[in-house]
Amino acid sequence: MRRVVRGALVGALGAAGLTTTANAQGYQLRFETRAQTAAYRGVRPDSVPAADIVTAPNGGLQTADGFFVRCPPGNPFCFFFRPGAYRQGGPLVSSVDLTMWGLGVPGLSLRVNGRAGVDLGESDVWPGTDPALQLLEAYGEHASRRATLRGGRQLLASRLGIVGLDGGRGILRVGAGFEAEAYLGLGLARAAALPVSSAVLDPLDDFQPRRRQWVAGGSIGWSGRRGDVRVDYQREVERVSSQFGSERAAISGELRPLDRWSLAAGVEYDLANTWFGNADATLRYVSPRVTAAVGARQYRPHFDLWTIWGAFSPVPYHAVNASVWVRPLERLELRGRWERYAFSPTETETPLVDVDSDGWRFGAGASFNPDEIWTFDVGYREEYGPGASSHGFEGSVSAAPSPRLTLTAYGSTLDRPLEFRFEEAGVDVVGFDAEWRPTERVRLGLGGAHYAEDRRRPDASGFDWNQTRLNARVTLLFGSGADQTRLPRAIRHRPRAGS
Amino acid sequence: MTISRWVLAALLTIPGYAQAQDRFDHWEHRGLFPRCASCHAGIQDQAEPVWLAPGACADCHDGSIAETVRWQPPAALPATNLRFTHRDHAEAVRRTTGADSLLDCRSCHAGPGADRMQVRLAVAQNCLDCHGVRARHLEAPDTSCATCHLPLARAVRLARADVADFPEPESHKAPGFELKGHGRLARGSGTSPVSAACATCHARDFCSECHVNAPEVPAIQALALDPRSLAHKAELKAPPSHADPSFLQRHGRAARQSPMTCATCHAQESCLACHAGKPATALAMPAAGPGRGKGAVIRRERPPSHGSDFSELHGPVANARPETCNGCHVRPQCLDCHRPTAADAAPGYHPAGFLSRHPAAAYSRETSCSDCHNRGQFCADCHVNAGLSASRTLDAGYHDAKRSFLFGHGQAARQNLESCVACHAERDCLTCHSALGGRRFNPHGPGFDPATLRRKNSQACTACHGGLIPAAPNP
Repeated sequence: MRRVVRGALVGALGAAGLTTTANAQGYQLRFETRAQTAAYRGVRPDSVPAADIVTAPNGGLQTADGFFVRCPPGNPFCFFFRPGAYRQGGPLVSSVDLTMWGLGVPGLSLRVNGRAGVDLGESDVWPGTDPALQLLEAYGEHASRRATLRGGRQLLASRLGIVGLDGGRGILRVGAGFEAEAYLGLGLARAAALPVSSAVLDPLDDFQPRRRQWVAGGSIGWSGRRGDVRVDYQREVERVSSQFGSERAAISGELRPLDRWSLAAGVEYDLANTWFGNADATLRYVSPRVTAAVGARQYRPHFDLWTIWGAFSPVPYHAVNASVWVRPLERLELRGRWERYAFSPTETETPLVDVDSDGWRFGAGASFNPDEIWTFDVGYREEYGPGASSHGFEGSVSAAPSPRLTLTAYGSTLDRPLEFRFEEAGVDVVGFDAEWRPTERVRLGLGGAHYAEDRRRPDASGFDWNQTRLNARVTLLFGSGADQTRLPRAIRHRPRAGS
Repeated sequence: MTISRWVLAALLTIPGYAQAQDRFDHWEHRGLFPRCASCHAGIQDQAEPVWLAPGACADCHDGSIAETVRWQPPAALPATNLRFTHRDHAEAVRRTTGADSLLDCRSCHAGPGADRMQVRLAVAQNCLDCHGVRARHLEAPDTSCATCHLPLARAVRLARADVADFPEPESHKAPGFELKGHGRLARGSGTSPVSAACATCHARDFCSECHVNAPEVPAIQALALDPRSLAHKAELKAPPSHADPSFLQRHGRAARQSPMTCATCHAQESCLACHAGKPATALAMPAAGPGRGKGAVIRRERPPSHGSDFSELHGPVANARPETCNGCHVRPQCLDCHRPTAADAAPGYHPAGFLSRHPAAAYSRETSCSDCHNRGQFCADCHVNAGLSASRTLDAGYHDAKRSFLFGHGQAARQNLESCVACHAERDCLTCHSALGGRRFNPHGPGFDPATLRRKNSQACTACHGGLIPAAPNP
């Protein structure tokens, strides 16, 4: 009952957009409500007395009803995992995004971005719906030709990631393409609108800071016709103990020496761990018929210093990749992508366990839009690497009978074997998605998909996870509407791996 | 007499007159009418009619002398944009060349050496020759048009269809005429800001069809308003410079340096079709409205620099020059993808069915999951609810595809530590890896810098070492 009430409130927030008006000389207001139904199924740990164990056909041990078990030496019990129960999730999220300007002071604007979420399903476990109300951004900004000052809750995006803070930020544009930025404030957790001390962020009961940290940093950048470069620095420091949560710097840039050619590169350096983090360099050639890119990159995860994980020496992997997009015909696009990567030596000795240390991914696909209405898309992707692999086909047919209506039917297959667990999941998906814009200020979306998922295992703990998911979304736009213009139609979704 | 013939010839240059002439075979009657004025007395004397009365034909065409005919003179003066009248022109000729001028009807209405009654449509070339214009009619310099023609706005009897039938001058066919050439030719000389030649066929309405900056261009404002000028259709064409692949990158600077050049064809709306962030340069452009062209209609498309792969590769570029992104994108558009919304089930950043596939993507970190997903709030929270957290024991044997995985997990852990910590808590690992108890396995590996780490955050060290943090690097 409580869930229903909360859901009604969240939905009402979205519906309020139908009647609310904002009073400012200029404003943009966007209400959005999204909901979906999705089944949820995992595993359930269990145990049996060691005396009840029998020998499995493959020579291992299993329960009498066929579950593979692990029997720790000396332990009177053996352990295994049963299929978990179906749990129905029903996340409903309403968000509001408001920007106001023309407040009497030229260049002054206000922005608020928040959301309310609730899980209407039976289990109330959907991630991201707790707490129900989350304030993503709320700040005032004064912008002039030379400087921008911003105060309040805000998100900072840079090569070092997206981090939120409650504080101030200033940008100074000194001319000739130079720009400098500095910020200071109480930080939020990475990729969350919550402080690092929030219990919601610690479901595993890990070590966690008890207070919010200071976030301070800055950047300098230069932009010119043939290139851009930017240097970022950022540190997070615990307020009372002055212990660092992180201290990193990064440099990124793009060079455009010739028309159609560009070289984008960047690297992060962790000043606390004294190692290089993520780094990449990509050389691209872009022409109307051919787009090609070759690149190399390093990936190394970043862990905050209040965790112990950095001391476990996560090693990076290094990858080389190439991709090409060809348009032999005006309305036909062929694409392919390949990447190979290998982890750095881990300096571990694991004679009992053989683990892959390198992998690759490959994908190919084609898109064909014979006219302004139809778009056909097919692709194949395959990836193999430590931990898990996957391969499968996918395809979609989209029709845009009018500029305001887009209908898409899609389907895909997937096989996904794991390296460390007997499990070769296979899932076939068929679905549809419809988006209708009856006016420039209203967007309605409706979708559904059936998932036929089979988690195959050689013992009794294999299970199916068949389900039908439905989703609906409503977006209402008010004001002068800079965000009314959608991204180009080509970006319907993120391209699949390599395809 | 001479003048009257010339006047008649001039009269017949008028299209309407010529039509009427076609219905009367002058050559057939050449022996009957020794003088043009016999039938067209009005050319010479305004008190007389220009044409004979309809019944005059019946003097001969009575059915006995000759077969009857039905001929009617035109009901009204024809629509024309010629500025002259026969009488005024005759007066002018008389003033300049004297009464003994040889100019007669044949001078305009017959070809060289032709008989007087070999009447043709008025030969404009003859006019040009007399007036010293050494070019063919439609190739004559634009400055000479006004010699004979009225501005369109004053040619009040021309219908829109007449305007549509105006022949196209040769100058208009020259390469570059539409983009630059016509602007130069349109500049007036002397007191008028606009060339009289343009005004012959065009009016301000026509220019305003394309010129967003019409109110700011003196030559256009010097033209009168006349909706008939819209009988001519003009289409905006992108100049060659716009086809340059790098134009999109460079156009901003050009627009800042010379916004009014852009404003020739582009209204504010052109810019805002892409520049959702409403940059100052765009806002300085004139908005489409009355008296202005609506401007080039810009269709927001993926720029060439983005290519098809850009959604995957935009991160490094966006990091290097976020201001460039701001040119076309506003933050809410970024947040369409860069905000994990629990209820976002439609294919967005991730394709449909990604939940099933995500282990493979997460293990090898094709992209950095933690850029958008908080590990605790998103990954661990879901895994806990799926029964995947190691909250009870490490002996459960989840990783059963690798025998003795617990005793040989080091390599896997260092390679995929982010995946491990999505299910395993720190205390799980400290069971063996703490210096304070357990098996005291040293977890530090390549790249471990204890001195710096201790300086930055000694509390992290105490998790395993308690208060006895080794001063020297671990063995």
